[in-house]
Formats: sequence, structure tokens, C-alpha cells
Amino acid sequence: MNRLLALVLVGVAMVMIVSDAAKAAEETRLQGAGATFPAPLYERWVAEFNKIEPSIKVSYQSIGSGGGIKAITDKTVAFGASDAPLSKKELEKMGDAANVLEFPATAGGVVPAYNLPDVKGAVNFTGEVLAKIFMGKITKWNDPALVAINKDVKLPDLAITPAYRTDSSGTTYVWTSYLATQSDDYKGSIGAGKSVQWPLGQGGKGNEGVAAVVQQTIGSIGYIEAVYAHANKMNAGAVQNKAGEFVTAGPNSIGAATAAALPLMKDGKLTADLWNLDGNGVYPVSAFTYIIVYRDMNNLKTAGEAEALKKFFTWALTDGQEISASMNYAPLSAEVRTSALKEISSLSKQ
Amino acid sequence: MLLLVLLASVVVVLFKGALPAIEHFGAKFLVTSEWRVNEVERPLRDAVGKIQFDADGEQIIETIPQAFGALPTMYGTAVSSSLALLFAVPLALGSALFLVRLAPKFKLAAPIGFLIEFLASIPSIAYGVWGLFVLAPFLQSHIGPFVRDLLLDVPGLRWMFFETVTIAGQTSEREIPMVGRSMLCAGLVLAIMILPIITSVSRDVLRAVPRTQVEGSLALGATWWQSSWMMLKYARSGLFGAVMLGLARAAGETMAVAMVIGNANAINPSPFSPGQTMASLLANEFNDPGEKLHRPSLMYVALILLVMSLTFNIVARWLVVGKKQ
Repeated sequence: MNRLLALVLVGVAMVMIVSDAAKAAEETRLQGAGATFPAPLYERWVAEFNKIEPSIKVSYQSIGSGGGIKAITDKTVAFGASDAPLSKKELEKMGDAANVLEFPATAGGVVPAYNLPDVKGAVNFTGEVLAKIFMGKITKWNDPALVAINKDVKLPDLAITPAYRTDSSGTTYVWTSYLATQSDDYKGSIGAGKSVQWPLGQGGKGNEGVAAVVQQTIGSIGYIEAVYAHANKMNAGAVQNKAGEFVTAGPNSIGAATAAALPLMKDGKLTADLWNLDGNGVYPVSAFTYIIVYRDMNNLKTAGEAEALKKFFTWALTDGQEISASMNYAPLSAEVRTSALKEISSLSKQ
Repeated sequence: MLLLVLLASVVVVLFKGALPAIEHFGAKFLVTSEWRVNEVERPLRDAVGKIQFDADGEQIIETIPQAFGALPTMYGTAVSSSLALLFAVPLALGSALFLVRLAPKFKLAAPIGFLIEFLASIPSIAYGVWGLFVLAPFLQSHIGPFVRDLLLDVPGLRWMFFETVTIAGQTSEREIPMVGRSMLCAGLVLAIMILPIITSVSRDVLRAVPRTQVEGSLALGATWWQSSWMMLKYARSGLFGAVMLGLARAAGETMAVAMVIGNANAINPSPFSPGQTMASLLANEFNDPGEKLHRPSLMYVALILLVMSLTFNIVARWLVVGKKQ
């Protein structure tokens, strides 16, 4: 009896494997990898797109920007994703720089999230104050520099514990690049990069690690990706922009930053730094996140895969943008979308 | 044989990966404490801090290169493991003595032995989560302030609660914030993790002490404690081996430590300050290493860690097994 049961089970398993293989033959599979910050959005895109085009299976692995760049350089994935645009060196490693297309998929912000249980309302920060806090020059919440810009909020006499990312990340890159524009002292001592040497504070791995430090430590302040901070209901401060306004991060203020970047994106250039841009309502610690593909698409096996990839990103930059807004990411402005779509339609497998 | 090949290939891979860092830093890697993954560009200043300009009136920009040194992480591994041993060894030896000499009388040896082996099999991440969400907040809100109130006025212990920092040339003293995630927290979590393994090996070692030895000492008029002490002395090399096994596990523990130690790449003498161990550094940074020498430097740290734990294990093995044969 038991043997019969085992035989039946094996038979069923084999039928399932065979039918699965047959199904796979009709499907086009695309693999992407890279940045963790847009991963929730990309995963949602993949799910929604699969409803419209069931024959195309896209999957995205959030392994970090550096890992995404390495994967697309090694041609082990169909597309890579990175929070920072490719550096010259990384472009060189990918072969012919003219053969690489990077375009923004969405934009996000990095926010100063803090733990002050008795403080009601958003705390205001300027870039200089933030730089000084992370350099250890402002050590108390009731420092005169903080009190001066927070007239409506009563700040406590409490030590500030900065919290930072210990892993290499696009979030750190955006945060440090912004601080470097705000303070020469900061630029000359800590500097900008995906991972930097902080003089004090507590480190956490990933957005969740920094969030854990901030949520558990009264008086701490950490930089966290805006969508993550929003989803976890953390208190995020307003940051003063170039126009002098104190702005909190949200789809509108980050969207304003992408619009303000248009003058920087002339002649088909699709990358731009969004931090510290001029304009009303602009959130100053914003950044694009990019998709990286090869123009000749020689990392893909078939023309069918190439078509599927174009289809997916064409959809992502049109209908997909509505999903971005609903998830608190900032949709791209119409101009950026148009030029990115033009580049995508010019891709062809060779 | 296969094991030897595996070990050799791990060493070769690590050494090859670390080679650029070994060539660049050499032995200096072991004694320097900077860990700067990014290059910093700043205006060149002369001795009095005046910005320097070139002939065309442009600022001269100096680039401060990447710098890597393993000293803070080696210090972190040494201190967190030592703290773990400090807490765990007396408890473990006491439990082992209880299990060998007292528990059988009450028919407790088997159930308690089972519980200890069960504790040893709990995955380390579970200890890490407990440390992060239970122990660290408790240290922050209760133990830390309590110890500070107790010891603050004791002369010579000020370094535990205050630190001097030098930022941009200015030195100041400030109170160390009690944040919970610290060297002490890592030491405690590690102590709980290595307690079962030290206890269970010590128990087996103590069981192997010949009955005649114990009875002989009792016959000579030794008290219970004196004969227990004699047992420990008789079995000391085996017990030392058990401790070394615990030490090897503590030094190599990765995720649990990364969750509770605070991850600061600096040598902070206070146990209430955050730190970093070699293993936690790898857990934090190896996933997505930066440019140039970052990856080779991490490989270098891994190589040091491997050599260190190999040494621990070989010494422990030689002490526990080697002498019997």
C-alpha cells in the first residue's frame, strides 16, 4: 500500500515538473538586481505587470547598488539598478561607455528621523546643523543653533546620538553628498561616499538597522530612506532648502526636486544630482534611482527577451508611475519620462 | 584529506583576495585604526590653516585616500570574547560540577543535560534578536544607569562614563550616552551563547576524572569544596580546551554580535560604548563592498579571523584530545 502511494506521488511530481517545464518554454524570464531602496516599488511593478503580460516573468533581487552594478557588468542579469549613477571607473569596466544606458526609474528622499517622545510637531533642520550633528559639533537637542530654527517646538536638554548605516548604501551616498554641499568642514573631514567613517554614534545595517537604533534610543537621530521612515511611522524632520523653506519629504516635494533638475538634464543626459536644488517646495535631500541596461542588449539571449525588457520599462515609466505615487515614491516629471522612453524605444538586440 | 583541501582552498582564496591590501598596508594593517572607505577631497591648508592657492588663483585640492586598519575590530573581538568568558566560565564550571557531583543524586543529570544541549542548538540569530529587543533596552534603562550611579564617584573609573573626542582639532570631554547596544551587551549575549557548549564539554571532562582520585582526596579529609577544587585541577587541560572552544565560538560569532554591539569602528575603552568585532564588520560590509581596497581589506580581516580561530581550535583540540592518545 505504502509503495503504491509512493509511486503515485512520484508520478504526480513528474507530471508537475514536465508541465512546469512546458509552461516555462512559453514564458520570457527577465532577471534584475540591485538597489534596495526602490525594491518595494520594483516588486510591486513586477506583480502588476505580470497581470497585464502573463507571459513575461520579471524578478528583482534587492542585493544593493554595488551588487547590481557588478551583476550587470558581469552580464548575469537583464538589468541592474543603482541609487548612484555609474562612476567613470564603473563605466570603463562595463566596456564601451556609449553602449550603457542608465535612466531614472523613480525618485526618493533621505530624511533625518529622530526619537524625541515629548516633542510634538516636526523638528526643523538646516543642512549645516545636520552636518554639525553628524560631526559631533552639536551634541545637545537644546543647542542654540537648533533652538533658533525651532521657535514652535520645545527641545529637551538631551544628548544627541547620531545613527548611521554600516553597510555600503545609496542612502549614505545621498545623505553625505548633501551634507558635503552644506558644510566645507564636513566635506573636508568626513566627505561623501556610499560608506564613510563617522566619528561618533551608533551603526545599523540597512534602513531597518538604523530604524531599530532610532526607535530604541531616546535622543537619537538617523538618516533613513523616506519611504521606509513613512511606512514605519517614524518622526522625520523638515530640512531647509535653498529657497529658505523648511520642507518635509513626500511625493510632492521630491517631485519638485525632479522638476528642478530639468535644466541639468540637457542633450539627452538622464542622470542628475537632486540634492540641494533651487526652487520652491523642493525637498533638498532627494535623489533619482537608476536602471542600467546595455544599448546593444548583448547580455540577453533572444530578441524576445529584449522586446520583453523594453515592454516592461515602457510600462513602468508610463502606467507604473501612478503606482510610485501611491507608494510614496515620487513619480518622474513628464519631461524626464519622455526622454527616458525615447531612449528605451531606441534599444535593440544586436 | 578532503577537509585539508577545503581548508587550504579557503586560505588560498582569502589570501588571494586580500593580496592587494596585504601589499598596500602590510603589517601596518594590524596596528592602525582608520576605516575610511571613501576618498575625501578638501582644500589644501598650510600649518596655520590657511587655504592654499595655485598660480592661477585656484584652490589646491588634496585628496585623502582610503585607509583601512583592523586594530579596532581586533580589539573589539578580544574585548567582547573576554567579557563573554568572564561571565560564562565561572557559571559553566559551576554548572558542570553540579551536573557531575550533585545532579545524579536528585536524578536531574539527564533532564538538565538535555536542556543544556538544547540551548547549544539554538541558532545564534535567535540570541541576537533577544539581545536587540530585550537585553539592550534593559541595559539602557536599568543596568546602565544603575552601574553609573554606583561607580561614577569611584576614583579611576571615570573612563567608563566619559570619553574625550577630538573633532576637527578640538578636544572635548562628553558623557557616553547609555544606548544599550554596546560592547557589554555583546559580551553578555556571547556569554549566554557559549555557556552551553563550555558546560557540556566541561561536564564530560569532569566525568572522566577517575573515581579513585575523588575518593582518595575525601579519604584524606578534604571537604566537598576541596575535593571539587581537586577535580577541577586534575581536569584543567580538558577544561581549558572547553573554554577555548567557547572562545572560538565567541570570536567567530557574526550576526548576533552585529545586532547588539553598535557597530562603531573605533576603540572605545568604556564597556558602555559601541564597538565592532572582526566578524560583525564582515557581516556589515561584505555584502556590498565599495571601490578599490575595501574588498581586499575585508578579505584581510577575514584571513586574520580565520588564522586566529584556527589557532584557538588547534590549541583546544590538542588540550582535549591530543594528550589522551
